[in-house]
Parts: sequence; C-alpha cells; structure tokens
Amino acid sequence: MQAAGTKDRWVWVARFLFLLPVFLLFFFFFIYPFFFTVLTSFTSWRGIGSMKFNGFANYTKLISDPTFRKAIGNNIIWALCQGFIQVPLAALVAMILVRKPFGWRTLRTIYYLPNVISTVALAMVWIAIYNVEGPLNAILRTLFGQESRNWLGNPDTALFAVIFQTVIYIGYFMIILLAAAMNIPQSLYEAAKIDGAGTLKQEIYITLPMLRGTLITTMTLAMAYGMRHFESTFLMTGGGPAYATTTMGIDLYLRMDALRYSEASTAGVFLIIMGTLVITILRKVFGSSDPMSEMAQ
Amino acid sequence: MLKKRNLIATLLMVCLLFPLMAQGQTDSSAQKEVELRWASIWVGADSKAPAVEALVEQFNAENAGKIKVVIEPQPDYNAYEQKVRTSLAAGQAPADIFTIKFNPTTATFYQSNLLMDFAQKMDDGWKNTFDSGSIEQSKVNGMLKSLPMETAILPIWYNMDAFRRAGISTLPTTKNEMFAAFDRLKASGIAPTSQMTGDTNAWTSMIWFSHFAVSLGGPNVWDKPFTDPAFVEAANLLKRMITDYSTSDAVGLGAGGSGGHFLAGRTAVFSNGPWYAGRADLAATPFFNSIKIGGFPAVGPYQDIMISRLQANICAAATRDKAREAAILDFLKFLTSPSSIAKIAETSGAMFAIKTDYRPVKDLQKQFYDVNASAKTTAFDLEAALGAEVTLEFAQQLGALALGRISAEEFCRLVDRKIER
Repeated sequence: MQAAGTKDRWVWVARFLFLLPVFLLFFFFFIYPFFFTVLTSFTSWRGIGSMKFNGFANYTKLISDPTFRKAIGNNIIWALCQGFIQVPLAALVAMILVRKPFGWRTLRTIYYLPNVISTVALAMVWIAIYNVEGPLNAILRTLFGQESRNWLGNPDTALFAVIFQTVIYIGYFMIILLAAAMNIPQSLYEAAKIDGAGTLKQEIYITLPMLRGTLITTMTLAMAYGMRHFESTFLMTGGGPAYATTTMGIDLYLRMDALRYSEASTAGVFLIIMGTLVITILRKVFGSSDPMSEMAQ
Repeated sequence: MLKKRNLIATLLMVCLLFPLMAQGQTDSSAQKEVELRWASIWVGADSKAPAVEALVEQFNAENAGKIKVVIEPQPDYNAYEQKVRTSLAAGQAPADIFTIKFNPTTATFYQSNLLMDFAQKMDDGWKNTFDSGSIEQSKVNGMLKSLPMETAILPIWYNMDAFRRAGISTLPTTKNEMFAAFDRLKASGIAPTSQMTGDTNAWTSMIWFSHFAVSLGGPNVWDKPFTDPAFVEAANLLKRMITDYSTSDAVGLGAGGSGGHFLAGRTAVFSNGPWYAGRADLAATPFFNSIKIGGFPAVGPYQDIMISRLQANICAAATRDKAREAAILDFLKFLTSPSSIAKIAETSGAMFAIKTDYRPVKDLQKQFYDVNASAKTTAFDLEAALGAEVTLEFAQQLGALALGRISAEEFCRLVDRKIER
C-alpha cells in the first residue's frame, strides 16, 4: 500500500517536471505579456519612465478616434472576406480535387506553393503588379481600354486590392479541407449513386454536411487571421492612403512607433476582445457539431 | 522497472536543465580589454560604411589589449529604430554605442536613465569641436544625452540635362519661374518632380512641404498652429506639385520609388540629403555630372532659408563601470575628432556637426557645402521640428489631399490635432 502511494507520488513528480519547461515558456511568452498588456492599457506610459494609472482614458481615446474605428471596421471586412470568400473557394477546389481529376496532385502542389513563399516576397510582387505602370493596368488597358489606376494609392481600391492578394491564396485551407474530404467514406457516395444522385447532389448532401466541422474550424482560423491581419497591408500600403487600409494591428504598431505604449496596449486588448467576439458569434451561428467525428464514434 | 524508469526520467531532466548553467569561458588576459558594442547603421550600402569601418579598425589597432569596438551591423534602418525603442522600453540600452534621429519623439529617450549624459563628461576642448548650435539643439532640459554627429541640409536637386533638353538653362528663383520651368519640363515629356505620399514620413514631399512652409511662414513657422495660413498655402502648393508636376504613381509611392524615378531620369527635380551624393547608383547615372544642388525658389516673403536637420546623434549606454565609461568616451572622442570626421565626409559626402578643415573636392559634395554656406539661415524640416507621430499623420493625409478627398484646410486641421502643445 505504502509502495503504491510512493509510486503514485513519483509519477506525479515526473509529470510535473516534464510539463515544467513548457509551462515556463507559456507563462513567460504568453501569460505574463498578456497580463502586462492589459495592465499597461490602464496607464499612461511612453515606454520610458514610470507608468501612471489613468483608468479607462486610453479606451475612451481609442473609441473616439476615427482612425481606430476605421481599423476595427477594416478588420471585420478582412475577417468576413477570409471566412466567407477564401474558405468557400478553398472548399470548392478541395471538392474538385478529391474527385482526383487528371493532374490533381500537381494542382494540389500549385495551389499550396504560395504558402511556402514569404509574405514579404509576395507583397513586393503584388506592389509591382498593382503599380500604375504594372501588368494589371497593362492587361486592363489592352483588353478593356481602361485607364490606368493607382490601385494601392486610391482609398477606394486600396483595401480590396490588398485583400484580394491574400484571399486568392487558398492553399492552406484547401489542404485541410482536402484531407477531411478524403476521409469521407466512399460507401456514402456509392449508396447515393445507386439512388440516382448526380455529382452536384452528392456534393451538396454528402460532402458539405460531412465537412461541416472542418469548415467551421477553417472559417474560425481564417476569421481569426483576418482579425489580426498586419503583414501584407503594412508592407504594401503602411495602412494608407489616408488610413484606408489600416487595421488594429497596424494601428497598434504605429502607436508603438510614436512611443505611445499604453495606447498600443489598449489597441492590443481591443484586438483580443474583437477577435474573441467574432469567433464566438461564428460558433453560435454555425454550431460546432462535426458529423465526421460523430460517425467515427 | 519503475526505479529504472524514474532514474532515466531524472537523467533526462538534468540533461534538459544543464545548459542553463553553462557559462562562457573567458581568457583571464582578455578580461582587461573592454569590448564595446556599436549597433551601427553605417554599414553595407551606406556611403559612410567604408570610412567608419576603417576608423574602427584604426582605433582597435591603437588600443589593442585595452579597448575593442565591435560593430553590430544594422542594415535595415526601420528595424534598427524599432530595436532602439523596444530595448529602451524593456529597460536596456540597445548597445554600448548607438545612434538616434533626434526629434521631439526621440527626445523622450532622454527621460531614460539608460543613456549617458555627456553634459558633465565633456571637457571644453572636446565640446568646442562641435557646432555650438547643434549642441544646444541636442539638449533637453539641460541634459545632453546624445552628441550631434551627422547633420543634413535638404536642398533641391536639379537634373540640368533634363532642364537643358526643355530649353531651361538657369535654376528658378521665384514661384512663377518654378512653375514655368515645370510646365516646360512637362511639355518636353519628363515629370518635373519626384513626389511621394508613402512610407511613414512621405519623405520627398515632406521636404518640399517644409521648404514651402518656411518660405511662406519664416524659419519659426513650426511654432505656429498647423492651421496657420502659411501651412494651408504650403499644402495647396504641394497638392499642385503632386497632381500636376509629378509621376502618376506618386500617391502611395515610397522613398525607393521616388528616388528611383530621379535616378532613372524619369523626373528632373528631387530633394534629399547629402548622404545620397555618395551612392554608387547615383554616380552611375548618365546625368551625374549635370546635377545641380540649389536652394528653393522663394514662394513666400522669406528667402534664402535652407532646410536642415540633425540627421544622426550618437548615444552611449550609461554605466557604473568606470573602465567601460572611460573606454566609451575615448572612442567617441576619437570618432568625433575633426580628423576622423574629415575622413568620413570625404568618402561619403555626408555633413557633420563637428568643425573640420575638410572642404570637399568632389563637385556634388562641394555644391552642398556652397549651398549651406550661402543660406542666410536654416530651419528644421517638419519631421525634425514636430516629430514622428505628426509626420506620420502628414504622410497618411497627404494621399487624401492629393486625391482631392480633403481640402488643404482640412488636411492642416487633421495634422494639427496630432501636435502636442
């Protein structure tokens, strides 16, 4: 009895020791920065010197700042575009590739290739494409006689120009959905075929319902990315022109640049709140049931 | 079996934790040598890099065994500025020696105890090698936590080959002459000026705006509210430059594109500092020998004012280690000595706040010195006068102004709200 108790204690000690390094990393690189960010959002602090508590002044300032409100709006647009355009496009391609048409493996690789290229390199390429003298304007001029546009320099087109060059890269979500689609039992399709269901009906009544769980997961990932979007917009427009493409991430960065660290922390807290809100709404609307998991059980 | 498993688990944990206890081995003789880290932006393609590296090598050779300066290259200036800010916010100096662009935003760094205050550490001999005006500009509440090193004037660059092709042989000196010249350049098929609204400071256009504002409002125009008529008129003039006398991609364009247009001969008039004169790609242009550096045509009642700024101030980490402090001061005295500065100026074309007997022989550098000498007075540019945050707002709203989304009055009002008074 005593030997069994001692053995249990050692097992728990071993578990604790193995978990300790990961927990320490998690604490110092996530928990501590998170609470430090929340704490500094209630102070006035310029990165140098002491922090002075100022209550909700930073929150009031940001909410009443039209630039920050614009950033929140842009992030919501990003989230909606990624969740409701990028993911459905990825699902469509996955549903075609799962049928294994000729060259499907090559197509799978081609679709995924942009995801292994750095965001910086892609942003530089698209800056050249969107340039007034760039190939996009040349093609539109040749085919439709359209005047050249400054796609990234015009507040009316800049946001969607930047979103477009992200949304068309569906490879990452396509791979996830393709893997899930390949796990759908073939017996379901055979039964449907016997019952006279064509390809389209099979996709609507079998593939999509079976992919529900994975679709919700990929939409959650896509919308989360949209809410925290920063890189390509910062590289391509810096949040301009006239803050037309600014996001909460860029706003946070620019406030930090101006040594307004407490306001940047406040922007960070808003980012977390908005992101959580969007994901929660998504889950509430679409639920979280996964027919594939239920079938497996 | 369990004891063996526990023993293996314990050994694994020890192996994981052991590296945390590792310490570097030091040679006891090397402990006497003070190693100074210099996070230097004057590396790589920067025109000052070769001279700076040679000076560091010279200093290390002369102080072998006592002081060794190690350059930590910082080729990406934006990333470097970020490093300085975050290091200071995290409570540590980015290096023993580093530079900052001194302006109202970076003046906040003086509140930190991490920077060495040179006010009490400079003897008169050393202080007198500096331009006194630059020393005073670098002080904040009596503290001198950075030494003015590189200064810059921001004149106008004219491609005289393009001017001659358009039938213009002299530089414009008034507003009417300027626009007449630009009309002729446009008619000859060349965009008259390089402009830009991109990056965090709309650099080239910011310089043009500064010239306009100072010519209209005087050298102390930056003390006035940004809604002052001088700024509104300057905004209207800049808008005209961007929409009528620049390239079609000016809105949203960055400094690389703006400079690139000038280097490629697509624009005839540019603005930048003396460091640009030392660039290899500039020297390779077919019109290099036809570049003329000039003052700005007077668009207002104030004339012969040159826009200038403290381009780089050098800072040092505060330290309680007397040997380290002495080593830092020794190196900085060497680096800022007239002979060292003359060597850097000669090869780079840059201008400095240290008085030297150096006078350039290369034509382009000589022109900078001549233009600086002929100016009656100097004034800051917008970024140097009002700081990074105001300049960012200027850059962001400039695109809207150029596209006609906002009026010049609205533009000035939006920028004015960012100015802390």
